Order: sequence, then C-alpha cells, then structure tokens
Amino acid sequence: MLPASLDEAVDALAAAPAAVPVAGATDLMEAVNAGRLRPAALVGLGRITELRGWRYEDGGTAVLGAGLTHARMDRPDFAALIPALADAARTAGPPQVRNVGTLGGNIVTAAPAGDTLPVLTALEATVTLARAGASREVPVSHLLTGLDPVRPGELLTWVRVPLLHAPQVFLKATGRSGPARATASVALVLDPARRSVRCAVGAVAPVPLRPLEAEAWVAGCIDWDGSREIDPAANAAFGEYVATACVPDNYGAEGAWEAVTEGPTAAAVRLRRTVAVLARRALGRALK
Amino acid sequence: MTSPTDIGAAPQQDGGEGGAPEPFGLGSSPLRSDALPKALGIYPYAADLWAEGLLWGAVLRSPHPHARIRGIDTSAALALPGVHAVVTAADLPPGPDGTPDGAPAGPVVADRPVLAAGVVRHHGEPIAAVAADHPDTARLAVGLIVVDYEPLEAVTDPEQAFTAPALHPDGNLFRHLPLRTGDPDAVGEIVVEGLYQVGRQDPAPLGAEAGLAVPRPDGGVELHLSSTDPHGDRDRTAACLGLEPDRVRLVVTGVPGATTDREDLSFQVTLALLALRTGRPVKMTLTREESFQTHTSRHPALLRYRHHADADGTLVKVEAQILLDGGAYADVSAEALAAATAFSAGPYVCPNVFVDAWAVRTNNPPAGRMRGEGALQACFAYESQLDQLAARVGVDPVEIRRRNAMSTGDPLPTGQAVTCPAPVRALLDAVADEPLPALPVDDPDAEWLLPGGPGGAGDPAAVRRGIGYAVGMVHMLGAEGEDEVSTATVRVSGDHATVICAAVDAGQGFATLARQIVQTVLGVSEVYIAPADSDQSIAGPSARGRHTWVSGGAVERAALMVRHQLLQPIAANFGMSSELLQIADGKITSYDGVLGMPVAEALEGKELWATAQCRPHPTEPLDEAGQGDAFVSISFCAMRAVVDVDIELGAVRVVEMTVAQDVGRALNPRQIEDRIEAGVAQGVGLALLEDLRTEGGVLQNPSLTGYRLPTALDTPEVRIAALLEERDVVAPFGAKAVGAAPAVVAPAAVAAAVRAATGLPVGRLPIRAEDAVTA
Ligand SMILES: Cc1cc2nc3c(=O)[nH]c(=O)nc-3n(C[C@H](O)[C@H](O)[C@H](O)COP(=O)(O)OP(=O)(O)OC[C@H]3O[C@@H](n4cnc5c(N)ncnc54)[C@H](O)[C@@H]3O)c2cc1C
Repeated sequence: MLPASLDEAVDALAAAPAAVPVAGATDLMEAVNAGRLRPAALVGLGRITELRGWRYEDGGTAVLGAGLTHARMDRPDFAALIPALADAARTAGPPQVRNVGTLGGNIVTAAPAGDTLPVLTALEATVTLARAGASREVPVSHLLTGLDPVRPGELLTWVRVPLLHAPQVFLKATGRSGPARATASVALVLDPARRSVRCAVGAVAPVPLRPLEAEAWVAGCIDWDGSREIDPAANAAFGEYVATACVPDNYGAEGAWEAVTEGPTAAAVRLRRTVAVLARRALGRALK
Repeated sequence: MTSPTDIGAAPQQDGGEGGAPEPFGLGSSPLRSDALPKALGIYPYAADLWAEGLLWGAVLRSPHPHARIRGIDTSAALALPGVHAVVTAADLPPGPDGTPDGAPAGPVVADRPVLAAGVVRHHGEPIAAVAADHPDTARLAVGLIVVDYEPLEAVTDPEQAFTAPALHPDGNLFRHLPLRTGDPDAVGEIVVEGLYQVGRQDPAPLGAEAGLAVPRPDGGVELHLSSTDPHGDRDRTAACLGLEPDRVRLVVTGVPGATTDREDLSFQVTLALLALRTGRPVKMTLTREESFQTHTSRHPALLRYRHHADADGTLVKVEAQILLDGGAYADVSAEALAAATAFSAGPYVCPNVFVDAWAVRTNNPPAGRMRGEGALQACFAYESQLDQLAARVGVDPVEIRRRNAMSTGDPLPTGQAVTCPAPVRALLDAVADEPLPALPVDDPDAEWLLPGGPGGAGDPAAVRRGIGYAVGMVHMLGAEGEDEVSTATVRVSGDHATVICAAVDAGQGFATLARQIVQTVLGVSEVYIAPADSDQSIAGPSARGRHTWVSGGAVERAALMVRHQLLQPIAANFGMSSELLQIADGKITSYDGVLGMPVAEALEGKELWATAQCRPHPTEPLDEAGQGDAFVSISFCAMRAVVDVDIELGAVRVVEMTVAQDVGRALNPRQIEDRIEAGVAQGVGLALLEDLRTEGGVLQNPSLTGYRLPTALDTPEVRIAALLEERDVVAPFGAKAVGAAPAVVAPAAVAAAVRAATGLPVGRLPIRAEDAVTA
C-alpha cells in the first residue's frame, strides 16, 4: 500500500492492523532479510510529502515530519535550526543509507545506538502518534523506555522539538573513520532561557541516559550572562561526572557481584573514559 | 577518471576506441576486461545462475562448537510439502569400516567431513542439507530437522589443545616444526622480548558462497561455482561422492571476491549430492552468517619472541615460539606453519635462530589460506621486535633494519640461500626517501579528516601523528616439495588468438596478463581468454601468487611454440633464421623490411595450436631441524605508515601508506598498483578493524555490520615509492608475484606507526581503541 496522504495512511493501517509501516526500509529490510520479520503487508510512507518537511509552531517549537531523511536533516538550513540533530544525521550511516533512512524510522527502531535518540532525549522532544480518528502526544523518552510505546496501528507522524537558539553538539565515538554505529555518543544542548545544560548519553544502555545531577551541577559553573566560559577543570569534572552517572560499575560483566567485589569492570573503565572525553569535548565545543 | 556518461557509452571491450591506442603487450597497463561490467553491476556471478526446474538447497548447521550427535530425525522435514530430499552423512559413501564418516576431505589431510558424522567440531559445521522447490521451503525444512546433541566441552584456547582430549581421531597437533640453526648459547648485549597476538581475520568476500549443480545423464554432475581450483575441487568432490573424477565437471563462474580459496568443499559436495539425489538442478546461496561460518579464516596466532643483538643492533640470535590456532580441521595449517617458521626472523641476517612452532586443532572455526598465511603473523612479531630493538639501541627504525637487512645470496634460517633478488635495503630506502604528507598544523585551513571520520568526535588537540616502518617477505608457489605445474593452450586463427587455461582469474587479473603475454609473443592484439573449467588441462589453484609464474609461463611457452610453427616455414622459404622475423600489428616482417606479410595470410586458413606446461624447480620439505630448500622464490616489500591517533579516544586513522615492492618485472604496472592497494586495504583492515570474534567457540559477529571491513574512508592514500625491477632469473619473464607481500607487511607498518604516535607497546592485532589511549 502506498498512501499519498497522512489520512490515507492512517486509514490503511486501521483497515489492515497487521500491516507494518515502512519508510526508508533501512532497518526493516535488514530484519526481513535476516528472517526476523515477515510482514503480512506493508504501508509505504514514502509518498506522504507532508511528513518529509517541517513547520514552526508558535512558542518556539519546530514540528518535524517523521519522513525527514538523515540527508535532509544534514543540510545547512536544518543544521542552523537544530544543530545537534544535524550532527547526528550526518553520521548515521553511509550516504546511501542517509539518503533514505528517516527520523521516524530511527525513533521507532529505537536501537541502542540510534544516533538521533540522545539528541531528541536531550532536547526533551515529544512525538505525535496518530491512528484513525485520534492522536496523542508522547515524550520521546517515554516512547523509548517502553513506558508508553507505539501501539499497533499507530503511525509516528511528528516530532516536536524546542528551538533553543543556542549551541548544541552531538559527538559519537566509533573506533573507525568510515561510517559506523556508535560505541558511545553524547548529545549536549544549552538552554540559555532556562539557564540549563541538557545532556544525553547514547549507545551505552538500551535507551539514552540523562545525567541530571551532572547537568544541574555544570549549569551552575557557567557564567550565563557573560562570556559563557567554563574553567577547563570544571569541564573535565563534568565529563567524569557524566561518565560515572551513565556507565554502571558492572558494565559488561556477567553478574553484578563482580563489580561489587572487584570494583568497576575493565569494560566500565574503558567506556567511562570514552564517555568522559565525549562529554568534555561536547561541552567545550558548545561553550566555545 | 571516466565520467558516468563515458562508461555508459563505452563498448564492453577494453576502451581505446578512437582515442589513444589500446595498451598492448607486457609492461603496458590495459584495463581488465571484467572491470567495466563489474563496476556497472552486470558481471554475472554464480548467484545469478538459473536452470529450468531447479530446486533450492539449504544446510543445517551446528549451533554448538563441540557436540556428539546422538541422532538425527529428518522425517518432519521430509514430510514438508515441496521438499525433495534431505541428506546427512549417511547418504555419503561410508568410511573404511563401513559406517558413515561424512566423507572427510581436505586440501592436504582428508579430515573435514562434508556433513558431520557423529560429532561436530565447530560452530556452523554442516550436518544435513535439504533440496526443496522454494528457498523458503528449504530453510523451513532445515528448521524441522531434529538433532539430538550431547554438548561436549569446547577446546577454544589453543594453548589448551596440547593437553585436552583428542578432538579428532588424528589428534590435536597438526604440526610441530622446530627450527634450529647456529649456536643455542649465543647471547647479545641487548635482549628484547615480546608477546604478540593476531586475531581472526576473515576473507569476507563481497559475494557469499553460491552455486548450481546439474545432474548429468551419465550419472555424473556438473557444478557451476566460483572455484579457484577447478581440478582440485573436481577431484575432491568426486572422491567424496565415490565417483570417477571425469564424471564431475566444474565450470568456473565469476568469482565475487577471493583472497585465495573460495567455496569450501562441503558446500560443493552437498550441492552435488542434492542434485544427484533429486535428479534435478539444485541451486544454493549461503547467507552472510553461513558464509562466515563455513569458509576458512586467517590463523589466529600467539608469538613469543626474544631477540639478542650487539650494542649496535646487529642481530645475534632470534628465539621464538609460535602457536597457530588451526581451528577444527587441518586445511593448510601445516603449510602456514612452515611459512611462519621459515620467515620467523624476517628479511634479516641472523646466524642463530631457534624456533618452535605449532599448529593445533581447537573447536574454533577452521583456519586456512589467506594472503600470506603464516608469513603475516610472523612479520607483525619480528617487526615489532625490531622497533623495540631500535628504541633500545637508540637508532632510527629504518637504520636498525638497514643494518640487519638480508641481500641476495644470504641464507634463511632454514639453510636455504635466497638466490632470487632480495633488495631489502633498496626497498627500505625507497620508502624512507619519499616526502611525508603534510601535518594539520602546516595547513590549518584544509579540511582534515580526523580519526573518527567526518562528523566524528575527533579533536585536533588530542591527535598525535605517528610514522612506522615495516619490511617483510613471503614465498611464492607451493612449498616443501609440492608439485607445481600448469598447462596452457594457445591457438591462432585469422587475426586473433585464443588462450585455453584453467587458471581462474579470481580478480587478480590473470586473464589480462595472459592476453598481454600472447600479444607480446604473437603480435596479435585480439586475444580471447576461454572461461576456465575442469575439462581443460590442469592449472592448479589461484593461490600463493602462482598463476603469474606457472600459468603465465605455460601461456608464454605455448605462444612461443605457435610462433615457431608460424614463422618456421616462412623463414625456410626465405632462407633465413626465424629469429630474424618479427610479428607486430598482425604482420610478419623481416629485419630488413623485405618481407611484410599479414599473419592471416601466413596462416593460409590454417589454425595453429600448441599446448605447453610450466613447472618450476622442485623444493623439499623442511626436516626435523627446520632445514631445507622449501621455497621456489620469495618476494619482499617495505612500507611506511603514517597514522593519526586520537590519544584520548584511541581512534586511529591511517593517513598514508608508502610502498616499495620487489616485483622482478612489472608486467602490468597498473594491475600491480591495484594489487598493492588491495593488500594495503586488507592489511589495514587486519591492523585496525577486522576480527571475527568467538566466545567459547561461537561466532560473535558473523555479519557485515559486526565484522568491520575497511570502507573507503578507512583506507589510506597509497603512495608507490618504487616497483623495483630486479629480474628473478628463474621466473618466467623474471616477474615475482605481487598480491601477498603488501598484505603481509601492512599490519606491521600500521602497528609501528601507532606505537610511534602513542608510545604504547601495541602487541596485538587488530589494535583496539583501548590499546591506543595514552591518558
Ligand atoms: C548500513 C547501515 C548503517 C546504518 N548506520 C546507522 C547509524 O550509524 N546510526 C543510526 O542511528 N542508524 C543507522 N542505521 C539504521 C537506520 O538507517 C536508521 O535507523 C534509519 O533512521 C531508519 O529509518 P528508515 O526510514 O529506513 O526506517 P524503516 O526501516 O523504514 O523502518 C524502521 C521501523 O520503524 C517503523 N516505522 C518507520 N517509520 C514509521 C512511522 N512513521 N510510524 C511508525 N512506524 C514507523 C517500521 O515499521 C520499522 O519497524 C544504519 C542502517 C544501515 C542499513
């Protein structure tokens, strides 16, 4: 099925509840080819042009279509709007994949290493889930943690993101120069109006993690009215703070007891170092 | 570069229409005839084959690395509509005692069953196979086969293999090779020690295994697949099926990537068995996961070294213990071990060498051939040692190598004199003399590709540059007494020539080389290379760089015989020696220009044929002290790696690799550069990315997402400093094989550069991020 509008798509899903929506198919076809998924029917979203762009809502919010491709989000006009999301889109796979892979697909797949997810988490974005005759608004974090998942027959239509008009950064460690999934990533946004720093760490846990205490602490170290600089030692401490908060002592261990008896595992130590470097660099770039 | 429109318009034969004349003969660089179709995606591979009424095959594989099979129940699978046959070891000819043994086979030792009989010894080992009318039905039926396993303890640590219970009736030791030369008590003023580890690299060919088997009316079978050794595969397949070899025909299809061996034997025998059983054509294509499970990978290795040297760095003694993990079956482990042992001291002169090397059986995936097997692992270790030694002596890494470099005539530790050119110093000097790439600080405005890639987390302040050197060696052709031979037929009729030779062009460019040889000898520009199949005369496997030598030599001889037949009567007619005649541009001319006769006219409508063989001088096995003339010839390569390392994140980017290689004679310079680039890419992959991981014998990352092959962004600029052309007098054309040496040396060079950038020891490959973090 290839609906040409949102309404048609929602109706199609209502008529065939077993049908699976498909956007760029970069995740879906991988599952089909590996035999993990055998969809009874597909509802292609590629023709729904309204979902491929974005609009503004009053109150400083951008409403992004679920069909925005990574390639589109990487373009300068979008990057000026939501720089961290553009950063994430730029590194989300090789060009062939970014040309068709979408924001909506990235969110619904909810892979631990999904690159847009920490950014949306740090931005405290919400998503619209639509079904025939009804729609609801869900915080992206609730969707990802499974607190409020996408229900069968629902379509993810819009992603609401606040426009913060301040620096924001997404950094990803991969261990190679070519395109790759993140071993760890950090999204960091400044919100001068609320005098806050928001940060999310991706790929180290099933969902992006927010180091709330570290955020609050570092917000207090920034001179918001002046040059917005930070003492390098405070920046480094922030990195460590984020890393300790987001990587548990028993990371990579078979059982928790190992960490209790022997301290952080080697894997935890390594990952913390990486996260600390990413967080420090991210804040450094945001405040530069 | 050609623009896309140019490609679309170009004819499929080699370019040159109307433009510059087409490159012709040896020493030129004609485009490979398969280059365009491959780039355009229209080159046919085995996965594209089709036959009327074909069935689809699928294989059941062991989820356990080691288990006893107590029983197999195929009834549910057989009952599934659309299933035509289910085969197990019981359907193969029985063993000597009359019970099924899975028809074991192997390139050297026949120890690897086609289908497991009674016991499985590695994760993914084939147990049963199905032919059905649809690929999904076949896979579904595979899922319905019930196997009663009794899981056994898996031996996955090669060091445990010595004491573990035998995993196979042949035992756990494939080979122990001691090498003793010189004075065991010799000591040097300086001693450096190291422990080195090499992971499991997989050939990960772009095209997974695929093939089509067609039953023949005479009870035999025809196999269409991307074999790189049509006769060897035919003979082994026939033996496993209990057929005469001439009842099996192997037709070689396009080879979608091979670094030497391709389809494992089990795949082809199973395919043939299903076709024979059903009387229908059967096609099978493996999934990527199966592909990783079934073909052999590079031997993981553990190498312990101690070098003794004088105060000035002159080598006194090398001691080493080398352990190769051969996995579940023997394959070519014994041969890889011979290379690792013989080249354990590297291309250096050292009077006293004491090595013990073992290749052992474990329940890990079987290891086999991969460019420079054995030689590569040793190169990483001895070059790492040389870097340590340089640091201790306080000299430059190039200088320590120059001081010890071997030259033509020097002996290997096996006692064999290196009689072929050994221009080790010249190679080192060539790479060392090349200018270095610019540093980011020198050109801050340029867009630098930092470690971590574009859009990555790289921070210029944390990036350190390192420069490393390595030089290494690898033998060509089969070693230790293996009979190396190839046969080729050349035919001339009208204005064109045909080459019939079963040497498979697996992408290394042999077909192009054969064409160039015939062009040079016979002066005809149009040369057709017949596709390879096992009904032709034997040419042997596409491995160890042997086809340039043996098949190239055979083609040259056959062409010379045709030339003689062509010119002899004319020369006799004119009362002159045929040496005074030459052929060029399709014309026979005499030295004085009196005669000018088109080849077609001289042929008088006849066809001229000649068949010739080439067989290099024999070699001998290494004895119980590791001594003997085991190799036909050796090639050398030197590299300089320039890397940037983000010392906080451990991300490494190889900026540039500078290469100097000993090629004997550059028969096709562009193709040589391609082979060097391929070797560098593979070597960089091994150094930084590629590692097929196992956990208790179970593969952890058998996918192209999990197994990280280098992409264009991971692959460095390759700068060719020199192709040294010092002829190898015993080799046809004086040329040396070029494919393996770059892959052997590149990992060592990258490791040296990362060491230089970080100051860390770097003792294992691939280098993980945590091995390159200094903070
Ligand atoms: C080679 C390769 C590399 C990759 N690298 C990265 C990477 O580095 N980083 C990264 O984050 N991702 C990566 N990906 C994953 C993938 O490209 C992204 O997750 C992409 O954003 C998915 O979008 P899509 O439109 O292709 O989703 P699809 O495959 O079309 O859909 C994915 C899932 O989402 C559902 N879905 C899609 N749209 C909607 C909708 N509007 N409403 C409800 N459900 C919907 C589908 O039913 C399906 O279950 C890579 C993929 C490949 C193949």
